[in-house]
Amino acid sequence: MFNATLFKSGIKGGIKTLALFCAVLTMYYLIIVQMFDPALGKMVQELAAAMPELMAIFGMNLNSATLTGFLASYLYGFIIIMFPMIFSILSVNRLIVRHVDGGSLVFLVAAPIKRRDVAFTQMTVILSGLLALTLYVSVLGIVASEISFPGELETGKFILLNLGALALHMFIAGICFLSACIFNETKYSVGIGAGIPVLGFIIQMLSNSGEKLEGFKYATFFSLFSTDGLIAMRPNAVWGMVALFFCAIALFISAIAVFTKKDLHI
Amino acid sequence: MSVIEIKNLTRDYGGKGVFDLTLSVESGETFGFLGPNGAGKTTAIRHLTGFLKPQKGSCAVNGLDCWAESPKIHGSLGYLPGEIAFFDDMTGLDFLNFIAEYRRVKDKTRMRSLLERFELDARGKIKKMSKGMKQKVGITAAFMHDPAALILDEPTSGLDPLMQSRFIELILEENKRGKTILMSSHMFEEVERTCRRVAIIKNGRLATVDSIDKLKAAQVKKYVITLENEKAALAFAKEFAEEDVSETRVTVSIAGNIRELISQMNKYPVAGISMPGQSLEEIFMQYYGGNKNV
Repeated sequence: MFNATLFKSGIKGGIKTLALFCAVLTMYYLIIVQMFDPALGKMVQELAAAMPELMAIFGMNLNSATLTGFLASYLYGFIIIMFPMIFSILSVNRLIVRHVDGGSLVFLVAAPIKRRDVAFTQMTVILSGLLALTLYVSVLGIVASEISFPGELETGKFILLNLGALALHMFIAGICFLSACIFNETKYSVGIGAGIPVLGFIIQMLSNSGEKLEGFKYATFFSLFSTDGLIAMRPNAVWGMVALFFCAIALFISAIAVFTKKDLHI
Repeated sequence: MSVIEIKNLTRDYGGKGVFDLTLSVESGETFGFLGPNGAGKTTAIRHLTGFLKPQKGSCAVNGLDCWAESPKIHGSLGYLPGEIAFFDDMTGLDFLNFIAEYRRVKDKTRMRSLLERFELDARGKIKKMSKGMKQKVGITAAFMHDPAALILDEPTSGLDPLMQSRFIELILEENKRGKTILMSSHMFEEVERTCRRVAIIKNGRLATVDSIDKLKAAQVKKYVITLENEKAALAFAKEFAEEDVSETRVTVSIAGNIRELISQMNKYPVAGISMPGQSLEEIFMQYYGGNKNV
């Protein structure tokens, strides 16, 4: 099922990108944690009342009075959706798309290794990257909060929030991976694999911003990741997370099945 | 026993592709797979490597189905793709080491001896390598696990004449060691020195399978004789009833023995002689033309 050499090479090839994403996210986390002011909670509420559309467009809302809520709305509404999404798109591109379209896949499949094992190993590389990224930002969030505002962060809720984000990103990576396994040309595999989540995210952002597009609020899978719901530990939000997780597994299984059976014009 | 077998293979790309192709390569044989560009050689080969599933027919290596049992086959098969794409961000050596580890090849002496044979310093980034250097990396990757059978798609493309002959030496050695080799090419000269049998494929269909000797015997060779002046050229051309004269150059076409040509050349002020390369199409036409006359 798993080829250690391929895994090692995949991790090695992606370590720089991972480090870069971690560095950028570190900057955001440190700045945003610093921006929290317990006394400011009230002001944010007033601001939200004055300019609800602007606040909503970035997924920010009234929960931001607590540190957990503040981080949930300022980091997990936009930053932690966008950056890992780009990370997934880049990873799938590096591990599958490039090899299929460029033809270097030849050396991976013209070998005594099953195609299923090639796809499975590449999947584990992608998921390891997402797991590492999530783990990193979880620890970062907790440590940064504890240093600046000891005892303010509700760690359990914050971890649940990160688990939710991980489920969402596994699902997004699943879409990219499936698309990469179906299509042979970069323009289709990236166009569709990255297009669906990016478009979904834009719809989500717009539907947050105004009543006109309110109807689209539940039109995309992003509604399954509810930051408010998760930190309030609402059952619906937890079920949404579980749904994303199982759908992600289904996407990856289908992707591997497609990859095993497809014609490779390499 | 046939090691490589293609049976009634069809893959229709809408006019192009491979149609009802049947051929087999015997154990220990070096087999040439000839055809002009776009004839379907690579498509046929992609079925043998298990990349494509046959629409009709089947392919087998060592009796194993190429589509269903591809991983098993590749354990003892070496494959050189026609258009090589590597993992660009690696150095040649990193890449070869990666492939060796990936295939679980422990012994790297063969890899080193191949690099030496082709005088390749593989320490540079593949991205920056010339086409010929990339080809050498590809050849090394195909041969380094010492496979019992080899499928080589246009193996000498990008190699300079010296390296081409080094490659031919390698093929002859491997043949002596009992390896079964299928080698595609669009040049007759390339397979002439290495293969005993060749198949010619045209528009996706098998045109002929024959011994290289028969193909060579049917081959009409062209010689371009350059004479010292135009008058001599015209007179020389008359001796052969040739009309292909341009200024001082006369093109003579001869099948088989050239003793007559040499004796005539002795009588005229010959300044030079050359042989233009012949396209596969020409050889192919001659082969068929010749057969009709028999």
